[in-house]
Amino acid sequence: MWKCSNHLLVYCYLYDEYIQENKRFERELLKIENRLTDLGIAGKVSRLALFRNAEEMIRDEINHGVSTIVVVGNDETIRKVIDVVADNDVVLGIIPIGPANELARMMGIPEGVAACDVLSARRVEKIDLGTVNGRRFVTGVTMPNFHAEITCEDKFRVTSIARQAELEIRNLADVTDPRDGRFEAVIRAVVKKGWGIFGKAQLMESILPLSSMAIRSEKPISLFVDGEEMRSTRFDIGIEPLLLKVITGKARVF
Amino acid sequence: MFKNKHKSDMPSSVSGETIIAQGVRVEGDFHSQGDVVIDGEVAGTVETQGALVVGETAKIHADVKAKSAVVAGEVVGNIFATEMLELLATSHVKGDIVTGRISVAAGAQVNGRVSMGEEGKGGKGKVDVEVL
Repeated sequence: MWKCSNHLLVYCYLYDEYIQENKRFERELLKIENRLTDLGIAGKVSRLALFRNAEEMIRDEINHGVSTIVVVGNDETIRKVIDVVADNDVVLGIIPIGPANELARMMGIPEGVAACDVLSARRVEKIDLGTVNGRRFVTGVTMPNFHAEITCEDKFRVTSIARQAELEIRNLADVTDPRDGRFEAVIRAVVKKGWGIFGKAQLMESILPLSSMAIRSEKPISLFVDGEEMRSTRFDIGIEPLLLKVITGKARVF
Repeated sequence: MFKNKHKSDMPSSVSGETIIAQGVRVEGDFHSQGDVVIDGEVAGTVETQGALVVGETAKIHADVKAKSAVVAGEVVGNIFATEMLELLATSHVKGDIVTGRISVAAGAQVNGRVSMGEEGKGGKGKVDVEVL
């Protein structure tokens, strides 16, 4: 973790579309803007809109000297900017507003105006980013119906021999450290214990810390990357160590 | 299918610990730097620089190398445990064992040659025991 003064740091605040459209966030936004001014970290406001490319907007701001991109929105907003922020070596800040703010919670950032003080304290952590077929993710990947073969680090294969199984790949979760250069592959298999009608189904959990993994299937299968669906017969999963600089709070989970 | 289990209730691998639970099969060269717990099926080779625990339900058809090992399940293959090997009452081992120290519980089944003492650590002195 490194800390530096707010002096000479240029902030850009990226308001998601749903915040601008919803009147119930108006008062909260006003409070946030006032608090940011009080703390001396106010900056340019950019607004996401239906036909505006978030990445292009941010790249433009970075070219004009912005060093910190602050997302005012939720997990979905963060997903829109993750590539451009990571590629341009700028710092990501979050002011969570509204529902679906799991990422901010794990980073230890409180909702609404309270997030401004966390931003001002500027505890920057570098965290790993996962990749699926070249697409980056922060939290993880899930495959609810896991019946594919996975090859881990080109050395060994893992298959589920249970009827029902799910696969989860975690980078940032309540129980993992997103700074270790690895992700955790978790396979939950339903195993029947005991005989006949006395048998009980139990959920058994396998955990493999890995740096790369390949998933292959004869038929197209669905993966949910940070909650968003991807469908293919081949998935190559990897990790980019300490790629994302993000402002975190004391209550972060790692 | 698994919705009732909250994420925070899930066990996590402690400092890189690997868990191969029942319902999962691993084939190939499995190498780990941390501790490994196996309750599922493994074929190939298993190597860890940490401790290995082979649970009662485990079926391992592989040569096994670990710093220390506790075996309660089935191992078909040679076991090399640098420091200590503990065979519990439910263990079935079919293969040679090389280890620094060994503990064998009553009921444990070993079919193979046991070499221990300095041999297990790569030294010259050795004690050979043939168990059939």
